[in-house]
Amino acid sequence: MTHNQTRNQRNWWAVGCGVAAALFLGSTVAWAHHEIAGKFDLSKTVDVAGIVTHVDWRNPHVHVFVNVKTGKELLNWAIELESPTILEMDGWNSNNLRPGDAIAVKGPRARDGSRQVWGGDEVRFTETGLPVFPAKLHPSRAAAASRPAPRGPDGHPALGGLTPAGQGYWTDPSKTALVEDGVDVKTDEWGLLTSLTDAGKVAPMQPWALGVYRHRQERMLRDDPMYLNCKPPGGPRQYQSRLGVEFVEDRARQRIFVLMGSGNHNYRIVYMDQSRKTGLVTGDDDNPLYFGRSSGKWEGDTLVVDTIGFNEDFWFTNGGLPHTSQLHLVERFTRSDFDTLRYQVQVDDPGAYTRNWSASWTMKWNGGSVPFYFCQNNRP
Amino acid sequence: MLRSLTRSAVVLMATVLAAPIHAQEGHPLKGSWIGVWESNKDAGDDILMVLNWDGKTISGIINPGTDNMKIGNATLDPNGWKVHIEADGKNKQGGALHYVIDGTLKDLELPTRSVTGTWQSQSGKGKFDVRRQ
Repeated sequence: MTHNQTRNQRNWWAVGCGVAAALFLGSTVAWAHHEIAGKFDLSKTVDVAGIVTHVDWRNPHVHVFVNVKTGKELLNWAIELESPTILEMDGWNSNNLRPGDAIAVKGPRARDGSRQVWGGDEVRFTETGLPVFPAKLHPSRAAAASRPAPRGPDGHPALGGLTPAGQGYWTDPSKTALVEDGVDVKTDEWGLLTSLTDAGKVAPMQPWALGVYRHRQERMLRDDPMYLNCKPPGGPRQYQSRLGVEFVEDRARQRIFVLMGSGNHNYRIVYMDQSRKTGLVTGDDDNPLYFGRSSGKWEGDTLVVDTIGFNEDFWFTNGGLPHTSQLHLVERFTRSDFDTLRYQVQVDDPGAYTRNWSASWTMKWNGGSVPFYFCQNNRP
Repeated sequence: MLRSLTRSAVVLMATVLAAPIHAQEGHPLKGSWIGVWESNKDAGDDILMVLNWDGKTISGIINPGTDNMKIGNATLDPNGWKVHIEADGKNKQGGALHYVIDGTLKDLELPTRSVTGTWQSQSGKGKFDVRRQ
């Protein structure tokens, strides 16, 4: 009775949303903060219907546990959803579901055969068929009239907000996999190739690097250290996340901070005084870093950032392209109008690639502060 | 006695030189490797290899120390992940020895990946098995 009342109170929102039917018929696997195909077999879906026993609303992924009657047995299944951060960005919250609710889900089952299913946006109340989480994932951005890029007191385009009220960050990257400009290969949002035969086209890799890349792709990116061990998204990867990046320009000290919404709210520092600081993290000048050592300068309206000194403990891009400690990046940031930031990166790594190569994409301005996200390892 | 001391020295060097296991997402052979080359009467069963990659060449040394062996020729074939390593050392009488190691890289995705295969020199041969630290 209590559950019915609670459910009825919540369902008005779902009805008012007006998208239930479309979601019911047409929804697909939702965006995830990492490649879900490594854990779930997207080609094998399973129907799970039961009574909620627990809602675990925690990073890195929300889990809803349900008791499912199977013959004479009552088996407990785990329905895995996105991270709380991302769900809350889309208007979902921990009160959408309570123990005792009857729900059903259709989604890909865990590859290891365990009783786990990826829920995405497919979780529904059994009685009404309405979605538990009625807000549509990632509503499309309304087209805004073009506005000129704001400029800071030094005359350069401002990459971040100039006032607290004008705070914002860059998100919605037009590409989320690092592929050489001019090359046409298809990947999913996490860089998993649609066809593994395209592996050699992605970038001019040395044979060993291509072998490692193919191996990572064949394993569905499940070894991604950013997911497994919460390693930072160094290199271009920091600009491939929907969680975005925020620029804070400290002109007095001639440095720019790049704050990341992904990867434990990591940040990198770009030094604008051409000094390329060393030894800032541990006091060890030779200690290679996840974000390297960056020196920046303005070339017209473009910020050019030169970075060396990377370690080899992370993937520098979605999709698992390898790099070595010889990695040298030249990144160009151009705010072409108020809402658009063009990012272009030249990859120079003679340890892994046969020549220099480049990739580029755009990001969109979003008002407010960059969202918090904290990875927790050892909890799949 | 001497063999025991040598073994202890290798273990000590391994303890001192080998960093704690951490991710290595670059060239798969780069890093410190510890294991055995069984039945090696000249160098002892235990082996420590330190390998590097400069973009063109795999280089490194075996059993770092005053009597270390420099790796002169090493290759990694991504087709099957075949590893070939050659190094020059000395026998107990000071005579030259040329070691050839052939193996296969396994568990590529792990920081603790391994190379298993065989070793041989003018004075013997046996099983080779090292794991990255």
